[in-house]
Amino acid sequence: MFSKLIKSNEFLVLLIIIVLSIVIGLINPAFFSVATIYDILRASNVYNLMAFGLLLVVILGGVDISFVAITAVASYGTHMAMLKIDYQGGIWLYFLIGIAIGVICGLLNGLLITKFKLPIFDLTLATQTMLYGFSLFFLGATANFDLPEGMVGYYGKYLAVTQDPFIGTTGLHISVLYVLAAGIAIWWLLKYTMIGRGIYAIGGNREVAKRSGFNIDKITMIVFVIMGVLSAIAGVTQSGFQRNFSPTLFIGQNLNVLASVILGGASIHGGKGTVIGTFLGVVLTQLINRALILTGIPVEWQQFVIGVLLIIFIAIPAIREERNRKVGHTTELITEEE
Amino acid sequence: MNTTQEKTNKFIKKIKYLLLKDGQFVLLIGIFTALMVFFSIMENGFLTARTFTSMGFQIAEIGLLALAMMVSILIGGINLSINATANLGAVLAGYFLFRMFPPVDTGEIAQIFTQINFPIDGNHTIYVAIAILIPLIVGAVTGIINGYLVGYLSVPPILATLATLSLFTGISTGLTKGRTITGFPPDFELIGATDIFGIPIPFIIFLVMTVVMYFILNHTTLGFKMKMLGTNPTASEFSGINNRAVIMKTYILSGIMSSISGIVVMSRTMSAAYEYGSKTYVLFSILIAVLAGMAPGFGSVVNVFISVLILQLLSTGFHFVLLGVRGSSFFKDFSWGILLIIIFVVNYYFKERKKQG
Repeated sequence: MFSKLIKSNEFLVLLIIIVLSIVIGLINPAFFSVATIYDILRASNVYNLMAFGLLLVVILGGVDISFVAITAVASYGTHMAMLKIDYQGGIWLYFLIGIAIGVICGLLNGLLITKFKLPIFDLTLATQTMLYGFSLFFLGATANFDLPEGMVGYYGKYLAVTQDPFIGTTGLHISVLYVLAAGIAIWWLLKYTMIGRGIYAIGGNREVAKRSGFNIDKITMIVFVIMGVLSAIAGVTQSGFQRNFSPTLFIGQNLNVLASVILGGASIHGGKGTVIGTFLGVVLTQLINRALILTGIPVEWQQFVIGVLLIIFIAIPAIREERNRKVGHTTELITEEE
Repeated sequence: MNTTQEKTNKFIKKIKYLLLKDGQFVLLIGIFTALMVFFSIMENGFLTARTFTSMGFQIAEIGLLALAMMVSILIGGINLSINATANLGAVLAGYFLFRMFPPVDTGEIAQIFTQINFPIDGNHTIYVAIAILIPLIVGAVTGIINGYLVGYLSVPPILATLATLSLFTGISTGLTKGRTITGFPPDFELIGATDIFGIPIPFIIFLVMTVVMYFILNHTTLGFKMKMLGTNPTASEFSGINNRAVIMKTYILSGIMSSISGIVVMSRTMSAAYEYGSKTYVLFSILIAVLAGMAPGFGSVVNVFISVLILQLLSTGFHFVLLGVRGSSFFKDFSWGILLIIIFVVNYYFKERKKQG
């Protein structure tokens, strides 16, 4: 069992995270602090929420492009409506209405995909363009900074506070609870429900899943509704963080989130992926961002380093697989015997 | 009388054949015509030469990117790094000129711009030629990198090109330090900002490249192999096609097309920036390919060309109609999304009827 754990992709990602942390810590000792952990978690939270939703779509065997647009429409749309009625309360109502919008967007995606048998990538590409256009034209073209009174202190709502000589006062933001809740829910869904097993089955082999009696349309709908809900929560949370509501929230970020999900071990061909892996993938991405700052690499070359790292991360498993394929039959037999 | 009737019958048969053979083409032509009629009724000033000249200037960069995207989709892949390739080519060309002619005095402007101090007098055709050549080489090299990752290491294309997108953007960002390079020699404007008899040069470049692409895909063995590879990689491998080489050539072609787009942008805006169109152009080019009905192994260059025209028509048309409305330029995004969904739905019903009939 132990050897299985070591061979797992999650373990590999965790190992990279640990090694990377030690390297950064040796270069810049300020890295080893509670504040760093809080900071990385805080930056990861919204991406985790989106990544968990995207994970379901990826396991299902597709790539969703539109979730970033859903975050924008849900948060910005809610905010513009709330401004009209001069709402001054807390963030909970934002979440409620935002989630409702997210569900509607998810249903729209799911309905179009299942009813007209469309590829997920193509359709969500259309809805992402449409939703951003909708948000910019019908709702408003500029970011809005008028927060309701109840939301003003949201960005600093901490579960635990710590003092750090370099970063200053920082803490564990409350949004880590949403990630925890969403993570456990999705993990439970994937592992212990028929729907979750169905998602894996469809991603693994659609035809077999269909013949074993999984309702593909229903499962697809559920996946996209969950994606909508998580996007909406991520959108409102991020707007609360940055203290403004933008019609182009997260624009151009969809492929970065996808990269995190893939780093976490999900297969782009579907049928493979775990919640823990995805969480680690997102944390690794954020850690790399921090690492680049803390190790003193010039800002303008950071993107380049990320590109090089990405190529290494995707090339290594590919080379390993290629080698296996060349050896061919024998390795397959050996692994089967084990 | 009889012969005319026969002729019309033949004509109807031919139309029916065309409809069955390439329904997407007829659909796109129909949409194009309908939009033309709609906009010319809505706006009196729409059907003028000026409108089309301005459309011609804007169309080329995204059109060339769409051609770059379509070849990668044709072989069953995708190339997300096209826009990064275009920008990298332009930035390297600009960087070369900047190195050759660095400004003597860098004032406040250096915070945002990297100014090329190009001497006004004298003949500098050779530098302009090199500056055009650099992007083309860059396009080929980026194509080799993508082709190697996808073809020889078997990395899924969406991941490979996502990583190279980051890499190429990273090189551009690093070299320019996030600034825009400006001050290109005036000769440069010839490519991007002039027209012959009212036909903009960028549009002519786009047209020529479309014809080149049409020729490659339909009249060369490479084009045939690309289609075979897209339809069924295993079958093409077993019929003696070197899949890896075809993938490599396709990504090189895609890279060169992207870099031509970069040259057009560079000379139209007379500047080079690492982030030009980085948030939207890639997805728009996929949008065009999808609108044109591209699928692995299937697709036509003509459809891509018409799709580019349709998207530009929607953009320009709604710009006219909604003139003065706040945020009007964003309505085009909304209309593109809606149009795409409509086309999906129409195609679905066509397919269903074909199945039943």
